Amino acid sequence: MFRMSHILTAAAASVVLLSAAPQAFAQGPSLTAAQAMAAARAVQAYAKKEGSDPSTVVLDRDGNIVLQLKGNNSAPHNLGLAQRKAFTANKFKMKSIEWRDATKPGTPQASERETPNAIPLGGGVPIMVGNEVIGAVGVSGTKGGQEGDTAGAQAGADAAAAAVQRLQARN
Amino acid sequence: MIRLSQIAAIAGFALALGAADAQVLTEKNISMQMAMTAFQGAVAECKKSGSNDITVAIVDRAGQVALLARANNASPHNLELARRKAYTARTFRQATSTWMERTALDAVDDKGKAIDLNGQRYLENTIAEKGGMPIIWHGDAIGGVGVTGSKGGGEADEACAKAGVAAIANQLL
Repeated sequence: MFRMSHILTAAAASVVLLSAAPQAFAQGPSLTAAQAMAAARAVQAYAKKEGSDPSTVVLDRDGNIVLQLKGNNSAPHNLGLAQRKAFTANKFKMKSIEWRDATKPGTPQASERETPNAIPLGGGVPIMVGNEVIGAVGVSGTKGGQEGDTAGAQAGADAAAAAVQRLQARN
Repeated sequence: MIRLSQIAAIAGFALALGAADAQVLTEKNISMQMAMTAFQGAVAECKKSGSNDITVAIVDRAGQVALLARANNASPHNLELARRKAYTARTFRQATSTWMERTALDAVDDKGKAIDLNGQRYLENTIAEKGGMPIIWHGDAIGGVGVTGSKGGGEADEACAKAGVAAIANQLL
């Protein structure tokens, strides 16, 4: 009895506490390895069409590397650059080519370029589900320069977002 | 029977990978001997123009150092500077002088349109200075030569780096 009342008191108290300040977990979708693979495959498909050999990096919601894929004949800087492009898209929640234009020297945002690991070059695209950024794709080494890299990364981000949405619809 | 099924399994696996895509990747790279010959070519050219004491770096296909030679009276930064010139030329497949122009803030293409490549200067290991030349084998960059410390500044550094590549030109045919 003693123990029971103890438990009841504790339960009642915690209910009161919780209801006084209802707190939810901070949560949202992130990216699985399989979804990152789907992104990489879409980038590879884009590259195959034009006959290029890019490097690709896929980051999750928190900016962790989920997948890194080096192009067969890539230059030494390509893989690291792809990662920085993806990082930029993830952190600033926009395409890295848009961030490049938004932070031009002489603009009030120019000092954002001092952010470690960010890079003002096109080829990074956030993976969006609704209004949420759940990851990012970075591409370096397509034929079309920064615009081409952006298009390739967009194909990858779209594929990953579609894979996440398919799962969400099933659940 | 067991063996046959094993073979079938392996064949199936190969099929899944895509036989045409699954090939060994073969890469050309500069050898140590080529690096030494290129180094001697750069030194000889610089001597002609009165610079007896230069610092030279040669990087391979991966951008890794193949050869470093520090001048007797080099400043502390010279070795790293030469390496970064060689790396920049290798990874962007062009003379660092060209890369400097292309990554300038106000750089434009043939039609006068801004090319906005300035962000490349944010990449680690690069340097916007003259004196780096790529080693190109049939359109494929397989190394780079970086020179610093010659008396004529960046222009002369580049001439010496060019001579370094020229010294191994017969092997790049």
